[in-house]
This record gives sequence, structure tokens and C-alpha cells, in this order.
Amino acid sequence: MLARSPSSPAAALVPRPAAPGLPERRTSRRAALAGALAAALVGTLAGNRADPFTATLNPAAPLTVYLQVGVGSFTNDYIYGGQPENNTTINTVSVSVSSAVLGNHTAQAMTTNSTATQSYWDGYTYCSVPGQLYIGGFYRTTGGTTAAAQVTATVPAGLTDAGGDSLPFSKIQWTSSGNGDNGAEPFPAGTFVNGGVQTVGSMASNTWNESCWTFTYLNNSVPPAGTFTGVVLYTLSAP
Amino acid sequence: MTARRALHFFLALPLVIIWRAAPAATLTLDDSGTQALEPGVSMRWQTAVPPRSSGADLLVGTTSIRVRINVMPWLKRSARIYLALPAQPPGPIAASWTTQGQLLPGQLRSGNRVLVYAGPITAGFLEDTLKFQFSVNAALIGRAYPVNFHFEMDE
Repeated sequence: MLARSPSSPAAALVPRPAAPGLPERRTSRRAALAGALAAALVGTLAGNRADPFTATLNPAAPLTVYLQVGVGSFTNDYIYGGQPENNTTINTVSVSVSSAVLGNHTAQAMTTNSTATQSYWDGYTYCSVPGQLYIGGFYRTTGGTTAAAQVTATVPAGLTDAGGDSLPFSKIQWTSSGNGDNGAEPFPAGTFVNGGVQTVGSMASNTWNESCWTFTYLNNSVPPAGTFTGVVLYTLSAP
Repeated sequence: MTARRALHFFLALPLVIIWRAAPAATLTLDDSGTQALEPGVSMRWQTAVPPRSSGADLLVGTTSIRVRINVMPWLKRSARIYLALPAQPPGPIAASWTTQGQLLPGQLRSGNRVLVYAGPITAGFLEDTLKFQFSVNAALIGRAYPVNFHFEMDE
């Protein structure tokens, strides 16, 4: 009865073939019994659910940022399951200009005390030290493409010495490259501003970004003798 | 007599063809006793770090579901039961699962189904606990999405 009633909500739940072993000829009593059984099945099955089961997928805390300027820390290279870690090291970039060439407009190459040469993505030797400073990282978010994350440098007005003398930060500039690299750098060449916040690169979402910076001192003035220092703070800001 | 037999043959032939051409009905099974053991599926990055260039970046999540399928109508018969994951938002979803033995482990992508039981039905309910892992491209899932699946059999 149920099998022949396509409008019955329970029809889809009941096998259509007749029960095996049932004689071809049925008595009216058997037919009545079958009807009663079918009615009981309707009562049982009509309350059942044949809806799909639902599991809700929740993106859980997926926003992640990582920025490394100079040395950084990973538990291992990414391709071997590495995870990023915190590293509080502050690296320096410096140059010592001899009096013989001071202010002669020949740019002086700067060197770093950073030992970071390899990309934590795959261990590839991407930068060369002490001439280059590694900068890299990523920004991860779910959903469609978003605006890029910005990396900014907060630059003091100048480098200062113990005597209170100052040297403009704009006398330091950098080029950008990487071993075996081609195409545009995520952290391109630039020159420091004299105090302020400047954008030094950007990261498309969900990609690994890295460059190697080579700094130079313009050496186009003659400051007083001394050691001039300044600290630049790099910040990654995700939208 | 020969002419009448031939007529029967020609009458029977179209019936046979029509019968064979009729597609098998697919029945969605009653699994109203199925329960999730966790309230939702927390989707996390499959890897801690993104790819070097833009590409598939997956979120994965696991959940355990206690499955209870009503197979009372097929008691003492044989059945082939499939887990179906229809194509649905947010887009392609991959699922894999392990079982405790009553159902078959497997994997599939949305828009498909895979066999999870083949054999005699000896009890009114098929019960098992499945540990699912879902994975989906992170670009597709900026918010929570319900994912529907069901069990079915061909009649």
C-alpha cells in the first residue's frame, strides 16, 4: 500500500518488493493483516526524519600574521611542518666611514649583524650576509581576496650621537633583491623619511613574502665625528 | 497460434525495454537518530604557513558524529548504503572519515557519494561513530557554513 502511494511521506522509506515467501494468492484475512501492519508502519515512519544531517564549518581564529626583519624563529622550515615563533632580537645595520672618504658623495655599503640568510619557507639561501638584511612574513585570512597587509617603518627624525648631533635618516637608502629572484619585490627599494611612518612593503593575503635589503649611507655631507644611532620599528598591519 | 505468440513477443519487448530504462529510485534514509558529538567543526589552517605564491590554502577541521540509520524496512535483506555529500555552498568540500567498523571508512568530494555499507541488514538500526575531517579552500569560507550530508540507497 505504501509503495504505491507516491504522495505518502513514508513511501520513500519503505521497500517496494513484496515480502519474500508470501504466497501468490492472499486471503482477504492476510490482506487485512497487511493493511494493519502498513498502517502501523505509517504511524512509525511518518514521524521520522529523512532530512540531511548538518555539520557547521566554523573558521576558527584563522587570522595570522608573521613578520621577520633580520633574524626570526621557526620550529623548522615550513615545508617540514615548521611553525613560526617569537624572536625579540633587534639587529643592527651599520657602516664606519673613514675620514679619508667622509662626505665624498660615494655611497658607503652598510652591513648587518643579522645571520638570517635562509627562507623559513623551504630553507633556501635567499639573502647574503653581512651585506643583506632579510625581511619576510605572511598574512593569513579566510574568505575572498582582501586588501594587502601593509608593512610600515616608524622612523625617528634623525640618527643622533652622544653629543646631541643629528644625522638625517634620509641619508640611508636600500635596494631590494633576493638570490635567484625575479619580478617585483614585496618590499621594494626605498629611502628613509626624516621622522614619521612610511610604508616599506605589502603582503597579499595568504602568500609568503620575502626580500633582501641592501643598505647604503649616502655619504654626501660631513657630520661631526661620532657614533650616530637610531632605531626603526617595523610594523605589519592586517586589514 | 504462431501469429499470437509473435504478437505477445512484440508486446512484451517494449515493456521489457521500458522497464530496464527506468532509473533506480534513490531513497534518502532516515538518520534522525544521528548526533554530532561536538557543536560545530572548528576549521583551522591545514599548514601553519601559506604557500609561497597564491594558491590553494586549506582549512581543515574534524568532528565526531554518532550515526544511527533506520534500516528497519530492510531487515533480513541485503542493502548497499551510500554517504552522499551534495554540491553546496561555499564550494568544493572534501570529506574523509574513519569508523568503528560497522560502516566503511572513506573519502569524497562534494557532489558525490561513496559506499559505506554493503551486506545484510540484521538489526533495525545501523550505528557507528564516524570521525570526519572536512577540508575547504580558505578563500571560500569567510564565515560559518552549514554542510549537509545524508545516507541513501538505490532501490
